[in-house]
Amino acid sequence: MADINSIEETLDNIIPDVNRQAVPTAPPRSKGAPMILMRNVEKRYVAEKAALEGVNVEVSSGEFVFIVGHSGSGKSTFIRMLLREVLPTKGQIVVAGYDLANMRNSRVPYLRRNIGCVFQDFKLLPNKTAFENVAFALQVIGKSKHVINTQVPEVLGLVGLKDKINSYPNELSGGEQQRVSIARAFVNRPPMLLCDEPTGNLDPQTSLGIMKLLERINKTGTTVVIATHDREMVNNMRRRVIALDGGHVVRDQDRGVYGYVD
Amino acid sequence: MFTVMSTNPAYFLREAGTSFKRNWVMSLGAIITIFLSLLLIGTSMMASKVINSLVTNVESKVSIQIFIKDDAATQDIEVLQRKLVTDSLVKSVNFTTKEQALENFKNTMSQSPEVVENLEGNPLPASLDIELKDARDVQTVVDTIKKSETFAKIADHPEDPEKSLKYGQQIVKKLFAFTRIVRIVGALFVVMLALVSLIFINNTIRLAIYSRRQEIAIMRLVGASNWFIRAPFMLEGIFQALIGAGLAIGGMLTIQFAAIPKLQSTISFMQFNLATSTTLGISGMLIILGCAIGAFGSWLAMRKYLKI
Repeated sequence: MADINSIEETLDNIIPDVNRQAVPTAPPRSKGAPMILMRNVEKRYVAEKAALEGVNVEVSSGEFVFIVGHSGSGKSTFIRMLLREVLPTKGQIVVAGYDLANMRNSRVPYLRRNIGCVFQDFKLLPNKTAFENVAFALQVIGKSKHVINTQVPEVLGLVGLKDKINSYPNELSGGEQQRVSIARAFVNRPPMLLCDEPTGNLDPQTSLGIMKLLERINKTGTTVVIATHDREMVNNMRRRVIALDGGHVVRDQDRGVYGYVD
Repeated sequence: MFTVMSTNPAYFLREAGTSFKRNWVMSLGAIITIFLSLLLIGTSMMASKVINSLVTNVESKVSIQIFIKDDAATQDIEVLQRKLVTDSLVKSVNFTTKEQALENFKNTMSQSPEVVENLEGNPLPASLDIELKDARDVQTVVDTIKKSETFAKIADHPEDPEKSLKYGQQIVKKLFAFTRIVRIVGALFVVMLALVSLIFINNTIRLAIYSRRQEIAIMRLVGASNWFIRAPFMLEGIFQALIGAGLAIGGMLTIQFAAIPKLQSTISFMQFNLATSTTLGISGMLIILGCAIGAFGSWLAMRKYLKI
């Protein structure tokens, strides 16, 4: 007599495999040099369980990509690996021309100057104004006062906060704070923007605005990678979707949809 | 209109100053710890200098005396004297006649002249007084003298020439054992104190870093180099150490100019003089040691936050 639990377990084991085989290899993109190149990447925090396994992903310069997946799917590891906060156990990762596995620790800051980061919790400094928060990013990489005083107002204008330039984070709405954080990520004109749940704390209306902003930034040629749970958003945008499950890439689709039943 | 921003080295100084003000209680703690540690280190260095000069003083008093019998031939005495003078270990050889010996004895006994008055004739022998370049060579020189035939001829006690030699071998041995212990204990003391200051600076900077961990996280995220992040904190640590070192030098000078003269007047038979160059040297060492402790302590505290 077959135990129903064991059948379910078996199914769980089979389905990802089936999915993996069914993954249509992403059609060749002609947009430019690869911004992200992952070959056979594997990450194990503990020896028994892989957080990521057999990941092969290529993102070309100028693409707009969603990374979707449940908690524990390996999404966070994926993002942290691009920033070289964690190193792969196996495989090769190249981001913006940097070979992450064979890179000296002292070079990591220079890699990060090529990746603008946006987070769910904004990570703004509460005792600094919008201007100062954005300026801080330029200041700490040694940009001159002149550069700061031209670029910061410009980028704050781009994100639509020209008149909130001297406001402190607690005087701004969630959407506005996220715009400041996007301005900070983009002020240095990095070739890539990496967003981890950028709309996670925002209502749908505001989220849409943020997405439109990210899309506009993408139009300037910046590669945009967004890890998200926001099904609505992914389905509306119809962009490339890379789905992760159990540490594997289970789907990589152009003009994709969220495709999970949460 | 906009807040004035600067990206020159003034940035580091300003950051260090701000953090210093923000955590002034902890900073004060670090300064006091550094101050007391460096003061103790400086004082123990000073003390070891004083002890050294005392030891040198005592060492120079270690000499060899050869007592000569009354009827020794002047020729023989001269032969021995010349032989000793040419010895590379010997600094000087003085001949003390019987009369001089009596004179010296009278001088030392001036408190009780009745002893001198009761003397019949002059019982004191003449002597050769040998001063050495290094007190540690005393045994070697004594051995050379013992082997000499001239010495046997002129010795005050011909039946047992060794009795005619007087030297402070035992004193020298004990003295060196003592000064060695003093030096080792002093060095251990200095190392321990330096460690305590290091730990305290480390803790202060850790607190300063903790209160600004958000800023540091963002700095790392936007690609500030590790040295850029580290510099203000290291400057803060050095700043604290410098203040502590300044106070310690002040304290040391106070001890030198207030306490030593008093000590000197109490124990007048010993010499406690410190050259100005010694004081300057110790002060310089305290500043360097303080800065090293400050910089290293902060660097240590930063390590965790800068791990990639």
